[in-house]
Amino acid sequence: MSLARFLIKRLLQGVFVVWGVITIVFGLRVIAPGDPANVLLPPDVNPEVRQQVVADLGLNEPLYVQYWDFVTGIAAGVPEGLYNIVMGQPVGGLGLGTSLTTGTSVASRVGRSLPATLELAIMATVVAIIIAIPLGVVSATNRHSGPDYGATLFSLAGISTPNFWLGVMLIIVLSVQFNLFPTSQRAIGVPGIFDLLLAGQLEAAGDGFLTWLWYITLPAITLGTYFTALITRLTRSGMLDELGKTYVRASRAKGLPESLVRYKHVLRNTLIPIITVVGLQLGTLVGGAVITEFVFDWPGLGQVLINSINSRDWPMVQGSLIVISVGFVVVNIVVDTLYTLVNPRVGFD
Amino acid sequence: MSHTGHRDDLLRVEDLTTRFYTEEGQVNAVESVSFDVRDNEILGIVGESGSGKSVTALSAIDLVDSPGEVTGGEVWLRDAELAEEFRGESPDAVDGDFVDLRQLPKGVRRSLRGPKFSMIFQDPMSSFNPSLTVGEQIAEAVEVQRRASANPRSTRSRTQGYGLGKLLFDSVVPGREYTSDESRERAVELLDQVGIPDPVERAEEYPHQFSGGMLQRAMVAQALAGEPDVLFADEPTTALDVTIQAQILDLLRDIQQDRGMSVVLITHDLGVIARMCDRVGVMYAGEIVERGSLEAVFDEPTHPYTQGLLGSIPDVDDPAPRLEPIEGNVPNLIDSEMPDRCYFADRCPKAMESCLEHPEERAVEGEQGHTARCVLADGEYDPERALDESHFEGGDGE
Amino acid sequence: MISPRTLRSLKRGLNRNALAKVGIAIVVVVLLAAIFAPFVAPDRPGTQNLNESRQPPIGFEKASTQEVPVQENGSVVFEDGQIVTENRTVYENATWDHPLGTDGTGRDILSRLIYGARVSLLVGFLGTGLAMFVGVTVGLVAGYYRGKVDDMLMRSADVMLAFPSIVLAIALIGVLDDALEQSIPDPFVVTGVAPAFRSALGLPTGMPESTVLPGTIIVVVALVNWVWFARVARGEALSLREESYVKAARALGANDATIMFRHVLPNAITPILVLGTIQIAAIILLESSLSFLGFSSANISWGFDIALGRKYQSTAWWISAMPGLAIVITVIGLNLVGDWLRDALDPGIEGEGGV
Repeated sequence: MSLARFLIKRLLQGVFVVWGVITIVFGLRVIAPGDPANVLLPPDVNPEVRQQVVADLGLNEPLYVQYWDFVTGIAAGVPEGLYNIVMGQPVGGLGLGTSLTTGTSVASRVGRSLPATLELAIMATVVAIIIAIPLGVVSATNRHSGPDYGATLFSLAGISTPNFWLGVMLIIVLSVQFNLFPTSQRAIGVPGIFDLLLAGQLEAAGDGFLTWLWYITLPAITLGTYFTALITRLTRSGMLDELGKTYVRASRAKGLPESLVRYKHVLRNTLIPIITVVGLQLGTLVGGAVITEFVFDWPGLGQVLINSINSRDWPMVQGSLIVISVGFVVVNIVVDTLYTLVNPRVGFD
Repeated sequence: MSHTGHRDDLLRVEDLTTRFYTEEGQVNAVESVSFDVRDNEILGIVGESGSGKSVTALSAIDLVDSPGEVTGGEVWLRDAELAEEFRGESPDAVDGDFVDLRQLPKGVRRSLRGPKFSMIFQDPMSSFNPSLTVGEQIAEAVEVQRRASANPRSTRSRTQGYGLGKLLFDSVVPGREYTSDESRERAVELLDQVGIPDPVERAEEYPHQFSGGMLQRAMVAQALAGEPDVLFADEPTTALDVTIQAQILDLLRDIQQDRGMSVVLITHDLGVIARMCDRVGVMYAGEIVERGSLEAVFDEPTHPYTQGLLGSIPDVDDPAPRLEPIEGNVPNLIDSEMPDRCYFADRCPKAMESCLEHPEERAVEGEQGHTARCVLADGEYDPERALDESHFEGGDGE
Repeated sequence: MISPRTLRSLKRGLNRNALAKVGIAIVVVVLLAAIFAPFVAPDRPGTQNLNESRQPPIGFEKASTQEVPVQENGSVVFEDGQIVTENRTVYENATWDHPLGTDGTGRDILSRLIYGARVSLLVGFLGTGLAMFVGVTVGLVAGYYRGKVDDMLMRSADVMLAFPSIVLAIALIGVLDDALEQSIPDPFVVTGVAPAFRSALGLPTGMPESTVLPGTIIVVVALVNWVWFARVARGEALSLREESYVKAARALGANDATIMFRHVLPNAITPILVLGTIQIAAIILLESSLSFLGFSSANISWGFDIALGRKYQSTAWWISAMPGLAIVITVIGLNLVGDWLRDALDPGIEGEGGV
């Protein structure tokens, strides 16, 4: 199968999953207890006003009509939003509706929170990969040495530590006791830094970058530790597996230097299956981001989700759930495609 | 050197001993094995599976992995240049034109794999890296030697840097970084020489796109990349179809004769030995129990194990073929369970009281270079002194 | 179901792997503490005592400088009508009454950890059990019937996997609210065994008579995590349905349910049990996250106590630290047991089952 056909097939599967996600998200709202109108209105409101609000929300329609409107709203809103992005116009509502509590567009609220979550997730992944792969390699190639035991212990503790607790402890030790890092919040985001750059304020942008780094360090460590531990573990065990294979012996027999055997052959083959496991675990990363944001009061999607659940703001809950899941589906398609590209054994099927 | 060898010797292995330290205990995989490889010959090593023949070959070229370790013995290679280089530095490791590889630094030993030794393995499919093209893997082997000869002073440290940075680059441009156009062209030539049709196209294919026979040819090509003097072939045909087996054996012999190199052919198949080899060593329980020229060992087997082994192959000329499997099992080689007596004694139809002492390797009377680890090498079987079963009770693990 | 060969390989794995023994020891200790909480807890987990608030753990005596009245012959000294004071270093003594210290309202942390273990393990085991039941059923049906049924079930599994588990769990809790919360009486307390034991030893009495069973959380974690069991069970069913003994059973006219549960399931049990061990750890982590975020109704829970301690993060680190250590140690124990089972039984499920 060609790459194009593979991508089309995978995209169709993705569209199906997204449709499923939208359906579940709709269903969650339907079966949730409580009347959305109650969120909007004081309890002692005039019944006629109440009727009007319920009608405006479309809640008097039969369920299938509500569902149809919901799905078609998104199906029409997303292409329109993409078109607007290309044309440089305001993105629009994407069919996600308006918040019950603030009355503002769900899409714009979610859109404003997205960079914070992405920054956090990307930093955590980058840090995890930079630390974990060398650690796993050192561990596997120096079995039963001090570094190996250290790495094994670290990865065991890392996958067993709840990240919110790690975050709380980092705050207590590094922020409160030693005052090395801010305890919470995000002073500036990457979009803000870009704005400064575009405005030609290089010095301010440089300062902004350092501030950004200073603020994101603890949340990134908090979020990245589980991932680091997991990848270390997978790299170590995968590499040990791979080192035992005959082709390693054959490579040595034909005279290859050990560094070439280790990196070009063994590590490369170890990383191929790790890509899929990492892809499967990306959900954990996004989930971890939700909690990390809560701990550090980081203004991302997770905060939006938690706050809107607590305030029963269903359009906001639905919007953030859909955006999180769609992001996850997209990343998984990318990971699958990468996996197929680097692994000649699989082919596109 | 203790022995005075043959004048055509290229490699003399003496008392090579390899242990594996496993959870079940120490395993004596190779027990004081001696053999020599001469110029331009095929030496066969034959034995049942688990007799230590593969580990013997791996030990000779320093490819034993943990938990295994070569614990003793000498591996003398004839190499005048190397001998000259180390004569002053470590005189013990040099004897005439010979150097004892076991006494050389690890880097030097590694650098000899390729130009001096190479090895092919039983299962070609698992012996190639599945995620690189066959051509690339052969080209690597060429490239190592190319770089080494471009910089002759670095014979002793041919550890080409290939770190994480290069790996990342390599991932973007898959597998195209270490090798050069020259080495890739040479890889195609080698594929052509081992009889692979359309070598230019095949070089770009991955191992899973090859048939077993074609891949074994490619493995031979890969082993030839460094122009080795000695090629160890470990059960090279066992994993292949019968019809393909013959083709690979023909290929090996042609290559051996064309290049005037030596081959150590390891197999459990006596038919292959009879067809291919000039001389042969028979292994049992980690030891070479009998060795000599093919004619000597096959026509006048001295060790009862060799006799039994030869008796167990059907003879096409014999109208009533006799199959005589040897009774009992191959010992498991765990140190604590190995008896002090001859390892074969409890299965031996001719065991005598003198077999309670572990036999040394002895010359078989009347035949040059024919030895056996058996009292019968220079004695006669005496039924009066036969061992009865009672000696083995509790002795083996069954 | 578990053959002698399997038992032998488990035992060999145990002898070879000292860490597995550590893991089993941890799990057993936590399990016993949770079950016999009313006997082993040094104090009542819910009773506040503001006089003893924020007492540090043993080994962490807290020093602070305070103004204290100067005393002579047991009476306060006055000068110019004012109490004479001096600055003195005061040690807030840790006591063996509260070996791990007390929280912001003076409740004994160790006792809260022991009672918190009940919640964590209840959710861990019941949630995993429920997830296993749902997942294995779905997986077996999908793998056994293949075709459209398989496609449909596995596509819906894909949809479930598109939600990060914690995100889906939060959303489901929003839906279910605390509809399924239960309170179960503590048999040791209700029957009077534990109070008698405690007064005989002179320990504080008045232990809680019931334990919260967070039904919503259990259902939610099961709904979130069944997919992993479904994937593994489906894979096993797909390969086992081609085995000759299954074909033979079918030829003999056994019905599908019999074949699935009598012939396929017993042979697929090893990977399912190994996954189950790993999932208990994952679900305990998930439960602690949810109660940390305030989505659980359990008022004694490790995650919840960590959240409580954040108020005192500049003065009493141990309030948040101790419950976290309890989680880490318990999950390490479960992971070590899981690693041991996985290495010994080699069910081929590396990388399945996220938090």
